[in-house]
Amino acid sequence: MLANTPVSTDTASAPNSVLHAVRRFISKNPFVVALLLLVVTALVNRALQDNLFELRSLNRNLRTFLPAIILAVGQTIVVIGGGVDLSVGAMVSMVNAIFTVLITQESTGLEIAGVLLIGAAAGIAAGALNGFAVAYLRLQPIVTTYATSFLFSGLALLILPRPGGDIADSLQDLYRSTPFDIPFSVFVIGGLIVVWLILRSTRWAQFLYATGGKPEAAYTTGVPVNRIRFSTYVLCGLFAAIAALAYTMLTGSGNPRSGDDMTLATIVAVVLGGTRLSGGQGGVIGTIIGVIILRLFSNIVSFADVPSWWQTLVNAVIILVALAAPGIIRAVQARRSGQ
Amino acid sequence: MTLLRRLAQMNPALLALLLAVVLFFAGGLINPNFVNVNQAINIVRLAAFLGIIAAGQTLVIISGGEGIDLSVGGVVTLAAILVFRFSGGDTLGLIPAGALALAAGTLIGVINGLGVIAVGIPPLVMTLGMTGVIQGTILVVTQGQLIGSTPPIMAQLISQPLILGIPGVVILWLALGGLMWLLLERTTYGKQLFAVGVNRTTARLSGVRVPRVVITTYALSGFLSALAGVMLLGFTQTVFLNLGGAYLFPSIAAVVVGGTVLAGGKGSYWGTMSGALVLTLIDSLLRAAGIEQAYQSIILGGILLALLSIYGRQHRLRQ
Amino acid sequence: MSVSLSAKQVVKRYGGVVALADGNLEVEAGEVLALLGANGSGKSTLSKIITGVVAPNEGQLHLDGKLVSFSSPNDARKVGITAVYQELSLIPDMTVMENIWLTHEPRTLWRVNKAAMRRGTRDLLALFDGTISAGLTPDALVKDLPPDERQIVEICKALSHQPRLVILDEATASLDSQQVQRLYELVQDWKARGMAIVFVSHRMEEIRLFADRATVLRNGRSVGTRDLANTTDSELVEMMIEGAAQLGERTRAPLPDDAPVRLKVSALRGARLRNISFEAHDGELLGIGGLHGQGQSELLLALFGAIPFSGSVVLSGKSVHFRHPRQAMACDVAFVPGDRATEGLLLSRSILENLHLPSWAKFGTPLKMDRARADAQRSVEELQLVAESLDALASSLSGGNAQKVVIGKWLLRSPKLLLLNDPTKGVDVGAKGEFYQLLDKLRQSGAAIILYSSDDDELIGLCDRVLVFHDGRLTAELAGDQVTRANLVTASMGAHPAAQPQ
Repeated sequence: MLANTPVSTDTASAPNSVLHAVRRFISKNPFVVALLLLVVTALVNRALQDNLFELRSLNRNLRTFLPAIILAVGQTIVVIGGGVDLSVGAMVSMVNAIFTVLITQESTGLEIAGVLLIGAAAGIAAGALNGFAVAYLRLQPIVTTYATSFLFSGLALLILPRPGGDIADSLQDLYRSTPFDIPFSVFVIGGLIVVWLILRSTRWAQFLYATGGKPEAAYTTGVPVNRIRFSTYVLCGLFAAIAALAYTMLTGSGNPRSGDDMTLATIVAVVLGGTRLSGGQGGVIGTIIGVIILRLFSNIVSFADVPSWWQTLVNAVIILVALAAPGIIRAVQARRSGQ
Repeated sequence: MTLLRRLAQMNPALLALLLAVVLFFAGGLINPNFVNVNQAINIVRLAAFLGIIAAGQTLVIISGGEGIDLSVGGVVTLAAILVFRFSGGDTLGLIPAGALALAAGTLIGVINGLGVIAVGIPPLVMTLGMTGVIQGTILVVTQGQLIGSTPPIMAQLISQPLILGIPGVVILWLALGGLMWLLLERTTYGKQLFAVGVNRTTARLSGVRVPRVVITTYALSGFLSALAGVMLLGFTQTVFLNLGGAYLFPSIAAVVVGGTVLAGGKGSYWGTMSGALVLTLIDSLLRAAGIEQAYQSIILGGILLALLSIYGRQHRLRQ
Repeated sequence: MSVSLSAKQVVKRYGGVVALADGNLEVEAGEVLALLGANGSGKSTLSKIITGVVAPNEGQLHLDGKLVSFSSPNDARKVGITAVYQELSLIPDMTVMENIWLTHEPRTLWRVNKAAMRRGTRDLLALFDGTISAGLTPDALVKDLPPDERQIVEICKALSHQPRLVILDEATASLDSQQVQRLYELVQDWKARGMAIVFVSHRMEEIRLFADRATVLRNGRSVGTRDLANTTDSELVEMMIEGAAQLGERTRAPLPDDAPVRLKVSALRGARLRNISFEAHDGELLGIGGLHGQGQSELLLALFGAIPFSGSVVLSGKSVHFRHPRQAMACDVAFVPGDRATEGLLLSRSILENLHLPSWAKFGTPLKMDRARADAQRSVEELQLVAESLDALASSLSGGNAQKVVIGKWLLRSPKLLLLNDPTKGVDVGAKGEFYQLLDKLRQSGAAIILYSSDDDELIGLCDRVLVFHDGRLTAELAGDQVTRANLVTASMGAHPAAQPQ
């Protein structure tokens, strides 16, 4: 079997095969690079901020990261499927407005459960609109979801014209709690990872990667490409609703513009996490790490002795370098092998 | 349905222009005061700012490779702030401050282009990251205090009637329209830009220096956005930290409504000009109708979706 | 598991263009039916209709005597029809096994059972044992595989569906001879087990090897079905083209001995190229042969400055080292790439823009469009290009006319050295003839031409000398009477032909 193959008879390929194996491992587990970056970032952060790993500080950090993490998970699924969703922030605003209007201090558990269902339904409906336009009307994702973001922002303003509201303390307390000395948000992040691993083991995931990787080939093979694309946006809508819930529990109130600044950060987190923007590759775990890295960057900058007006710039340059790093490494490698 | 289909087969740039005219007169139905020469000039003036920003966006989108420039909003703000702060509020100071603003915009464009073509960062990510850097730069420049003033000559030259009651920015916009046509249709760069947008391998094998074309394109986008920022300062007379942000996505929408394909290699600037008019008109109409902001936003989203459904559709997988 | 399929009067139109006017085909269990036709005759369209990828406008499909219609590839697969496509249907970023089992992954409860998938994949790959490398494993990523092994994965993917009818659409195009032989053995086995096979190919030898009967398509119509045993090649060719064209006539005068050297290459190395040295003369048509993918394309790309290399290149007496096609163009070198759609043309731009893409700079700023149009018009007439107008899109052209545009853009610059990378692939016979005349004219004007062709007959018919490549090395240089089919085949396998020059 080995005799007549130029690849295996080439003795020079031995060290290459190690490199090859590493490359394959990374390509199958794209979050590895992000994980390394996370460790470095966390250590730098720890050096500047002694209490970083103490429970209170950890809890405070993670619970403020959580809405962005949940939202970025939804974005990742859309991106793997070959799309992008610029309306995620507006969906958060809309569902946050719904929660704020419907949940009060007097709400009973049953009522709250009902409102959560309404919020989830709103997220799913919004995602379904995006999915219908992109998958079945075949509109370009960037401009389509940009257009729908106006719809959702408008609805948010309609439901909650100005910031306010006061939701049940029980929800806020739950969000801040640390059962078994572990922050509540860690359970949620763990839950997200479990849900992802289950999804990843299904046939749907095979279809998802095929659809994002090469839609024509996937279609020819019999993958229901349109249905998969549609499902990614619906899931993204659901995750946006959950992110809105986390945001509501975090702040205890509502703001019709709450999600506005979240959208573009989700895309940066997805890319930092090792998911390729053109689709068909990547995963949710990397994205979760990506969000945390992003937030730690700004922690580091604010704890380091950076003059306050320089902080945004330094933070942005760090992010840009992190985004560019894989490309720079690739370019250098290509130049070297080209010689 | 047949009407829709016939519309879909029309030249999208022409369709957008037609729509702009229809919208303008539709404005008269809502508010009889909407249709008059002054209002028309006012709308064209507003559209001009968007149109100038979208000029660079048009070039970047034509260049293909998922080309898009999300840093235009930041560049607009930065350029306005640089002039506001360093011109000293007089005519003589405008020249170096304006040159500084244009140079900064061009430099940002060059860095975007290098990141995209030399490092291989997806344009969406590169220009998004650059937006953060620009915002940081603005904070460093201003130290959080927006001090400065606008040279009075800017208002005269830009937003007040200049010739025959037409504001300077509109004249500049029309001139830019002519220049953009020349650039795209009558220069080697334009022909190579379309080639790069359609197929980079073919372009390279035909002797086109693809990296150079791409970097030039992003640089032009930065330059034009900075120019728009300077113009905008002449209109607003003051600056705020999110001055240009509001123009970012409309600049993309104007390009798409004008029939330039997001996949690259196909499009025109006069389509974008029509698109800028359409978007500005929709906005003005909604304001003129006295609709509250929530409904304005919903209606704008709905109209954009409807426009996209008419001619923004992609190919079917099954033939 | 006997099966029979017939397609009757199938029609497919794309806009105003008729891709298939009257497609008919019948195939039974236990036989291999070849589908023959020139490019654009509708072979691919017909096979895609049978597998449900393309929806026909008219006509009927009968499976086992019953009328069927497929609304997706899945429908066809459910009744046992699959295809091995020429344009690969694999997802590059997924593994071999994920690709093979896509849409019918073995599952336990909701989970995809990776162990079962891996086992099933090993069994399928074992069919090709001895012809594939150790790199082809169930967990390898498809994007890391060479073209022949991707093709094998494609075949395994079709087999994994346990089909009753398989369409092999140019499935042998990127396989080497050993792999083709293995596929042949497999097909014999499938026949014996009652499968029906439709075999689409350009290579006559393979059609004779694999198929029992052949259905011939011409201009979108089925013009007849023949038993291959009682039909000669020329009879089949005559059915494929109206009034068979004469090919491969050697009418030219031999190259004079004192023809000046235009190009001298010594010890050239680079991607896939190992120590290549040769010379090419003015007025010479130098052929490059060998099996597919032995470094021929890389040599041409390196000479054109499109890929990096080391070694010495002397052009027109000057030592040169091109790092960008632009530099090569400045020295009057031209390159016609192998793949028109992805390397040669701007499909969505006009013929005018395609013709002038390398030359716009000479029309000044602003461009003098009248002069550009006049120039283009002249070359359209010279090339006998059939097109609506100069403003027609390149995508509206047929294969032969499209290739004329690709060549035309270089003729406008009157090159001194013309590099051609398999230029007649997918060009119909008539257009080939005109193309050969064009080459001859260029040669007479004194240009040196280097032609890589995957068609041995073309090399034999056209070239003064032929360099044969194997595994990145130059294994033989055949000149004059040595340029024979036997020598070409021997040298392409890496062996030395009986008569070695010099």
